[in-house]
Amino acid sequence: MDAFSMGLIAAMGALATVAGASEDIESDVGSQSNPNSQVQLAAQVGNPHRIYNKAISGEPPANALWAATAAMVAYTLITAFQMPALFALVAGASVAALFNGVFSMSAYFGRNSSQRRFNQWVYLDIVRYTTPSIMAHAWITSFCIATISYIMVYMLPIPHPFPMPIIALIWGLAVGAIGSSVGDIHYGGEREFQNRQFGCGLNTMLSGQIVRKAEAGLRNSIDNAWFCTKFGGPATGMGFGLTVFLDNWRTTVFDPVTQASLAIAMGIFFIIVMVVYNLYIEKSARRKYGPYPEYKGDIAA
Amino acid sequence: MNFDINTIVYILEILVGGLLVGIGVHFVPVGGAPAAMAQATGIGTGTVQLAAGSGLTGLLAAGFMMSVTDNLWLILASGAVGAGIMMGSTMLTGSWIYAYAVGAPFASAKVNYDPITGFSQPPYVAPGTVGQGIPTICFVSGLIGGMMGGLGGAMIYYPLYLINGNAALSAMFAIGIFLVNAVIASWNIQGTIEGFHDPKFKKWPFAFRACAIASILLALAAVLITGGA
Amino acid sequence: MSVGGAVGALSALDPKKLRMYGLVGSVVGIYLGALLNSALNTTVFSFIGALAAIFAVLMGANAVRRVCAYGIGTGVPSIGMLALGMGIIAVMFGLSVAEALGFGLLGPIITLVYAGVFGYIIGVIANKVIKFNIPIMEEGNSDLSMAGAMALLGWSFAISGTLGYADILKDVLMTGYIAIIFIAGGLAILHPFNANLGPDEKQDRTLVNSVMVSGIAMIATGIAAILTQGLAAGLLQLVIGFALWFYFFKMYYKLVKRDAAAVVGTGLLPPTVQ
Repeated sequence: MDAFSMGLIAAMGALATVAGASEDIESDVGSQSNPNSQVQLAAQVGNPHRIYNKAISGEPPANALWAATAAMVAYTLITAFQMPALFALVAGASVAALFNGVFSMSAYFGRNSSQRRFNQWVYLDIVRYTTPSIMAHAWITSFCIATISYIMVYMLPIPHPFPMPIIALIWGLAVGAIGSSVGDIHYGGEREFQNRQFGCGLNTMLSGQIVRKAEAGLRNSIDNAWFCTKFGGPATGMGFGLTVFLDNWRTTVFDPVTQASLAIAMGIFFIIVMVVYNLYIEKSARRKYGPYPEYKGDIAA
Repeated sequence: MNFDINTIVYILEILVGGLLVGIGVHFVPVGGAPAAMAQATGIGTGTVQLAAGSGLTGLLAAGFMMSVTDNLWLILASGAVGAGIMMGSTMLTGSWIYAYAVGAPFASAKVNYDPITGFSQPPYVAPGTVGQGIPTICFVSGLIGGMMGGLGGAMIYYPLYLINGNAALSAMFAIGIFLVNAVIASWNIQGTIEGFHDPKFKKWPFAFRACAIASILLALAAVLITGGA
Repeated sequence: MSVGGAVGALSALDPKKLRMYGLVGSVVGIYLGALLNSALNTTVFSFIGALAAIFAVLMGANAVRRVCAYGIGTGVPSIGMLALGMGIIAVMFGLSVAEALGFGLLGPIITLVYAGVFGYIIGVIANKVIKFNIPIMEEGNSDLSMAGAMALLGWSFAISGTLGYADILKDVLMTGYIAIIFIAGGLAILHPFNANLGPDEKQDRTLVNSVMVSGIAMIATGIAAILTQGLAAGLLQLVIGFALWFYFFKMYYKLVKRDAAAVVGTGLLPPTVQ
């Protein structure tokens, strides 16, 4: 272990945190993945809306595409034209953001025009001012992930054996999986349904009754991003940052050639700490919130 | 290509890896779209996506370990721990959102008492939902599933790398075998599962058989591929 | 161009015809590109491989449409990932075995056969072992597997410029470009149906979307080809990809205007439901 590689690991953790946060906000501005099922349902139960509907695919494949595109373009520019890494990564992320814009627009057009019988209109002003915001967040995500891959392949003392685009593909899948498991709950469980009682999940009876009106006028997706930036995005960032940082930290502090078993033991220790922390959260939530008053069964709380 | 006893061992290793992925998917508590609205217990995403995210993170760790050592156990353990860390941090940060943003206590609607902690569940299930959050039993089950996925990914990668000596080829191949098995297993689950305490978990023999057939076919193709350069 | 002409008549193509177009188009395209490249000792015809992949993608997108109409419980993306997972193994198997047998040019045929058989078996497993009982599962999965394999093969050829196994390993695998082909091909197959999901989904709109996404994938392979084949061949592919994307995006937008309840510049909610 030396100070330089420790600094690189710290940089990777920081980049991953930013990537996770921007990934989640990107999916919230565009309304992607699981919470989007309610946006989709809203029109069908008679609530047309003015919320973006970016059903590109599950988040993991979509983010894998942006990350792999950025890494692929950067790798080409670095290898074929000897461009400086930073410029190459910026160019790669820009191409990825353009791809993202095309996919987003085609999904918004497609999903809404497939709901003709529910009278869901296609609003062009939403496309014009929401798409650039989506693309900007995708740019940040793909830039950060391509940079992480670059560091892993070219800068760490023991380079990773996989080529840069494949590493970016895998991290893209991982960030998408984390984004759709963590941050989306803040969007789907809280922001879409602020008109119901706080402190419980969505009652099945209310499916599709999403909030369509804002403080002034009609709610749009940029309002949703404003809300989710406060907690959902940062929490996703923590999730992805922890994954990247802890995973690489243990093989940097402990030399993987001579101290491999220590590195693995360290990983198991982290996992046990997570189980205990989750148990603490579960206990404190049960103590503070208590059982639901509507409960009529005979099992004691 | 010379067919010897090693080839059979490689095929068996790929087969076991594929089965680990297929069975591991059943352990991961995924609630699908309902869980993203805190309407069902588990992680709010799809089965394949989460299994792929964690298993392939494990593959990254295993591939890294394999570049510096050829000790099978270290590589397998590395894959499992890498996937476990990814799954653990995902579920932990997910718990933050359930507890502090949605403001709901964790509960499972499939059992009356959590088999690990002994906490009672039904009083904490919100009306109109089938549970929410990630109780300890689901967390542990998810960790087991994630680690099995990472172990399986490493188990597929190891023989492939020995056969063709090409990290990129082996990695893409492992991703391919991983995805096929994960998708078959997720078809068996049909959307959502809470972990090994869920009644649906009893369906795993179907996935076992299906993944065994698919993995054997994939393994037979995989051992015939040479590394070229 | 033949692709443009074909799409006009796409309104009600039955799957058998589309499968025939997909298989014949992709195989003939890949061979045509390979023969022209090796006969004239150049790489500028690699773009034909990328065009050939579009036929395969059309077939795959239609198969996704048919299988997912039954509701498989795991969402559309998983089936696209399955197609590519099966495809990548078939491609490497076909090329490697053909090379080992000494008939390098047989690669695409072996790939196709392995993909078709393997996909069919996965379909049988899904119906018999997992008990889906979806009548078209076998042929749908077989289509998907073949489409994934041929799309991967076409774009791999577009990047490497030859069908030789060693060249594909060096240019596509070792550089990591397989990652972008893999995921862009997957999205080209699964995105069209996913993006147009809904009760008023129309086949022609979905298929036009798939050609459009293939155009984007071709832009990506063009960028990759700049490294492996030089500026001229790469830029040619990039420009053709961009032109395809532009043309079909306009066409897609026209179809959206035809199908949507209303396309408005701005406005409040529809008057009947406010």
